[in-house]
Amino acid sequence: MTGTAAIAKKKADKPNTKLYLIALVVVLFVCFLDDFTPSGRVIPNYFKYIIVVSMIYAVASLGINFYSGYQGDTSLGHAVFFGMGAYTTAYLTTQFEGVSFWLSILVGMILSAIIALPVAWAGTRVKGSFMVVITYGYCEIFRYLATNSRSLGGTAGMAGIPTPRIFGVKLTKIPWLPSNKDAFILILFAIICFLAFFTYRVVHSRVGYALSAIREDEIAAYAMGINVKAYKRMAMVTSAVITSVAGSFYAGFANVADPSLFGATLSITIFTMLVIGGRRSITGAIFGAFFVIICPELLRYVQDLIGLPFDPWYILYGVILVIVMRYKPEGLLGKKDS
Amino acid sequence: MAVFIQQVVNGLAQGGIYALIAIGWTTVFGIVGVMNWTHGEVYMLGAYIGYFLTSYAGLPMIPSLLLSMGGGALIAMLVDQIGYVPLRKRGTLAKSGFITALGLSTFLRYSANAAFTANPRAYPKLMNYQPIALFSIGGTQITINSLHLIILIGTVIIMIALQMFFTKTIIGKAMLAGSQDMNTLALMGADSERLIKVTFAISGALGAAAGFFMGMLYMIFPTMGALAGLKGWACAILGGIGSITGSLVGGVLIGIAETLTSGFISTGYKDAISFVIMILVLLIKPTGLMGYTFEEKV
Repeated sequence: MTGTAAIAKKKADKPNTKLYLIALVVVLFVCFLDDFTPSGRVIPNYFKYIIVVSMIYAVASLGINFYSGYQGDTSLGHAVFFGMGAYTTAYLTTQFEGVSFWLSILVGMILSAIIALPVAWAGTRVKGSFMVVITYGYCEIFRYLATNSRSLGGTAGMAGIPTPRIFGVKLTKIPWLPSNKDAFILILFAIICFLAFFTYRVVHSRVGYALSAIREDEIAAYAMGINVKAYKRMAMVTSAVITSVAGSFYAGFANVADPSLFGATLSITIFTMLVIGGRRSITGAIFGAFFVIICPELLRYVQDLIGLPFDPWYILYGVILVIVMRYKPEGLLGKKDS
Repeated sequence: MAVFIQQVVNGLAQGGIYALIAIGWTTVFGIVGVMNWTHGEVYMLGAYIGYFLTSYAGLPMIPSLLLSMGGGALIAMLVDQIGYVPLRKRGTLAKSGFITALGLSTFLRYSANAAFTANPRAYPKLMNYQPIALFSIGGTQITINSLHLIILIGTVIIMIALQMFFTKTIIGKAMLAGSQDMNTLALMGADSERLIKVTFAISGALGAAAGFFMGMLYMIFPTMGALAGLKGWACAILGGIGSITGSLVGGVLIGIAETLTSGFISTGYKDAISFVIMILVLLIKPTGLMGYTFEEKV
């Protein structure tokens, strides 16, 4: 990419500050509305639950965006980092007294970076379709390991993960918040904003330009003196570390971690969230996660209403993927390739 | 030792089935250049067609096998028509082909789940099972199940027919040429669209045959395609992409590796071993045991 093109691109996607301010207002409104209504709950707790889950997946989707978005290779294995985060949190907080949730996030990030190294190394040797099967196989291997190890709870996984505490107060029992989900919403919102800012800064730095050069033409990038292998490994490890945070929060929020968190089905979900929302788009990645989590909940309502005997979501999901790929291959909020 | 040999023999039929799936994957991959993720679903639907033909229509084994192969071919061609043809016309197949395949596969799998319910089903008894003595080691008889033998023979017959097709007929030769360089082949005057149709038909027929054989061995269920598809891919990589003999060897080796794993290590890791083998082969010798050497890095 030439210098002028890079500058033009930089001007074209300024951070959408207005959007994040609106989001902040919406989040505060959702969290604190119940404080001002005399008759109690206006926003049902279930609704807040869906928001928290969407936000957790938004973190994962922002994580995979580094690899499958900016670096451009498909990964069907990011659940392995999600699961690593979840299992680290689960193991540390249930097996050792007094290990705090926040420490376990850090440990999970380090462990995820370590297990990302073999895949990152593989990513510099093989590419394209073969990377798809390597990542897929890698996460499935970890699923079998988790299923078969007794100390990790086997098929049932690990239950009874304590709810995270902040200054000794459980996140679900903070006195000045109206419901038990609000603390999660606020913390995850802060994390998502930080990640959006972080992604934006990285993408508009030397690293980001190097990644897009590698994505467009690896050989040309190599010829221009970009250390292709190092950047590829870095993209993988960064995305693994971010995805692991999402996993830790999942474990802390749902209080359980089971082997399906390592599985390829979850990997495909995380990957398609990004694809539907828009690769290489920060808002797209967040939107994709909300879309993929909220739609099935709405459909479940419709399903109960008309009495369908099966869950129509996955059938529709396949159709959505095909249609998006045919008419808007860059994703619903994605930018067209130059 | 005798136990070891017996386990190897037990893995043969399973390996033959994987080899059939593997060839279905690689023919499409070689010619269209896209990972046809729906292949596992064609395999599953082939197994269901076989189930309905044998249990409801009461057909014997050979006709229902052929019919479900025909059905699989039709489904694969339909997948191509609905999913890939529009992308080829726009020239975006390389970028969005894989995700379209992922979407179609999700659609097919969960539609089947809705239509056939998630309950596993078993084929009716198509033939008499009995152990056939092969030879004896140290006084222990090594036997092969007659069902396994039939499946193995069926697989080998299909493979030989395929090899004949590729080397003796003009379409088969064109397909081999197409897997090397599709553009040049089109310049030589070959109708590439028709060639791709034939490729999908062959791939679908092989997938359905594998599904039918699998149904004769085990229960069938709508999500069976996910794992089996990937195992087929693992066999293709082990044997070398683009080689029929390689797929057969890769399939049999993985089938044996699975029975040995469940026999000597743990049943829990039976399904994981093929992924381990696949990743190791890709990292150590990406061309597989009998693959061609590609000029570009895989």
